[in-house]
Amino acid sequence: MIKKLLLISILLLLPGLCSGQTYLDIAAPVSGKPQLVLAPSTTLSGPASPEVAKELSELFSLDLGLAGLFDVTTAGQAAPGAPLLLKSAYAVNGNSLVIECRLFDQVLNRELTAKRYSGSIKELRRMGHAFSDEVLRVLTGQKGPFTGKIAYATKVSGNKEIFVMDYDGFHPQRLTNNGSININPDFSPSGREIVYTSYKKGNPDLYRREIYTGAEARISARPGINAQGTFSPDGSKIAEVMSKDGNAEIYLISRDGRELARLTRTPAIDVSPAWSPDGKRLVFVSDRLGKPQLFIMDSDGGNVRRLTTEGSYNVTPRWSPKGDRIAYARQVPGGFQIFAINPDGTQDTQLTTSGSNEHPRWSPDGRFIVFSSTRNGAEAIYLMRADGSAQTRISRGRGPDSHPTWSNGW
Amino acid sequence: MRNRITGTIVFVFVGALLCGGCAKKEVVKPEETAPAAQAAPVTPAPAEQPKAAEQVKPAPRPPEPAPQVAETPAAEAPVSSEAPKAGAREQAPAGEAAGEMRMDLKTVYFAFDSSELSAETRDALSKNAEVLKMSPGMKIRIEGNCDERGSDEYNMALGERRAKSAKDYLVNLGIAPDRISVISYGEEKPVDQGHDEAAWSKNRRDDFVIAK
Repeated sequence: MIKKLLLISILLLLPGLCSGQTYLDIAAPVSGKPQLVLAPSTTLSGPASPEVAKELSELFSLDLGLAGLFDVTTAGQAAPGAPLLLKSAYAVNGNSLVIECRLFDQVLNRELTAKRYSGSIKELRRMGHAFSDEVLRVLTGQKGPFTGKIAYATKVSGNKEIFVMDYDGFHPQRLTNNGSININPDFSPSGREIVYTSYKKGNPDLYRREIYTGAEARISARPGINAQGTFSPDGSKIAEVMSKDGNAEIYLISRDGRELARLTRTPAIDVSPAWSPDGKRLVFVSDRLGKPQLFIMDSDGGNVRRLTTEGSYNVTPRWSPKGDRIAYARQVPGGFQIFAINPDGTQDTQLTTSGSNEHPRWSPDGRFIVFSSTRNGAEAIYLMRADGSAQTRISRGRGPDSHPTWSNGW
Repeated sequence: MRNRITGTIVFVFVGALLCGGCAKKEVVKPEETAPAAQAAPVTPAPAEQPKAAEQVKPAPRPPEPAPQVAETPAAEAPVSSEAPKAGAREQAPAGEAAGEMRMDLKTVYFAFDSSELSAETRDALSKNAEVLKMSPGMKIRIEGNCDERGSDEYNMALGERRAKSAKDYLVNLGIAPDRISVISYGEEKPVDQGHDEAAWSKNRRDDFVIAK
């Protein structure tokens, strides 16, 4: 069902806040985060709804707390003179909902942004996340990732099927239902399509699926493996692993599955391609030197060089949206841990320690990494900040859940 | 090594099909209608009054239960008699579908992150070769599998390497390569769900399945 709804938002463009000027310099070391106070949500009109007020307050606390830039408090705990104040108000009318949200700078005594959203009551969380995205945009110059979706593979129904959910684990929705093995979901830049691999016709083939309509094309069904498809940053091409020429190699194909280029030619295993944000390079996994390690090549397959030199088993790399870091998983005694390294091989840093952690993927703004972890039993989806802090479970099912990937905002 | 994977030939014929589906295709706004009208003139207003309006069309949410148009296995009759029953088999959530038995073909096992054939594995493969020689019409599919410890993306390739390694050995023993197809299930089909070496050692394996 399509919900026809209209979100109306209001943005005040303030003369003092030009592009490039931000309230928070997120790169600077934080010495005492600015306090952001959440005022109790009030009604615009109509009856009060404690449920709506509570959900909004919890949502803003979660989103803006995870952002790590503020000390988020509710109004009751506010120190007077807190620099940032977030006010929200709602009107519930049957199944429709209107929300108005405003962010104030109390030091300069001015409104930084105001938005009005209207739609179905079911869109409450989406509206709230949209304002969280906006708060980060206004304060840092870069919008938040909270309206993005997480696609993942879950065995909740017995076999691996692809689901999508909100970034915070709400609204899990099934995309595939074929009883076979479905793995490796990856979003197109629009966030409206995924590619994934399914065995539903026997062989591991690559499918491209329009999430909303369910329309789907099998775009790669060569003999052998057709897997780990990942869209180029401009969405025009897909890097993919195929074994049609003898063993696992990395290829580029068009959105329709036409082969554009073969990038690797070794008798070794070459898998897990991931694009640099400018689309000029790929990081990938190869065991050409014995054990799986990360390598970087140009997007024509040239100029290959080894990236990781520590650890004997490094896999599943993903390049950060800013291009400055590459997250990956390293096998260590007891399982995997997530690391990040600079593309020049420096600053190789361990980010996780608890349980076994795999499949790191960046949020579209690069602030977060989503991954799978066994730290509390069955594999589940977690997220953390790019520096490894604020590790938080987000999937709410019994799982096991794996292969998360985070879309651009919808 | 040339590898003919008869099992997948059928799919080449099928080609990429766009399953728009039988259901009526719903209209989707392809791109976000981003800040559409943020430029309304800023008029003085009371402090709390929003000034400029911006219309944001919410992204359509995924269908509640996604219309499973594309997911139902199309009634796709095997195009050629060579087609393995893999397609049919995979529709079953678990276990073997009718018509497939493992008979006397032995499963073989591997060390971690290895596709090398141990002496024990080579013995088992030799026995499998004898079975194949006694049943000249028999075609098999070798299914390569891995334990859960490695990366599942890497293991997809490792499972295939294990299957091909066994196939190569059988071919060297005189079995025609076109009787043997291979497929990798990576770490997706463990026989033992445990999380210790006893389980893992059972999962690092090639299964031999009669394809016809």
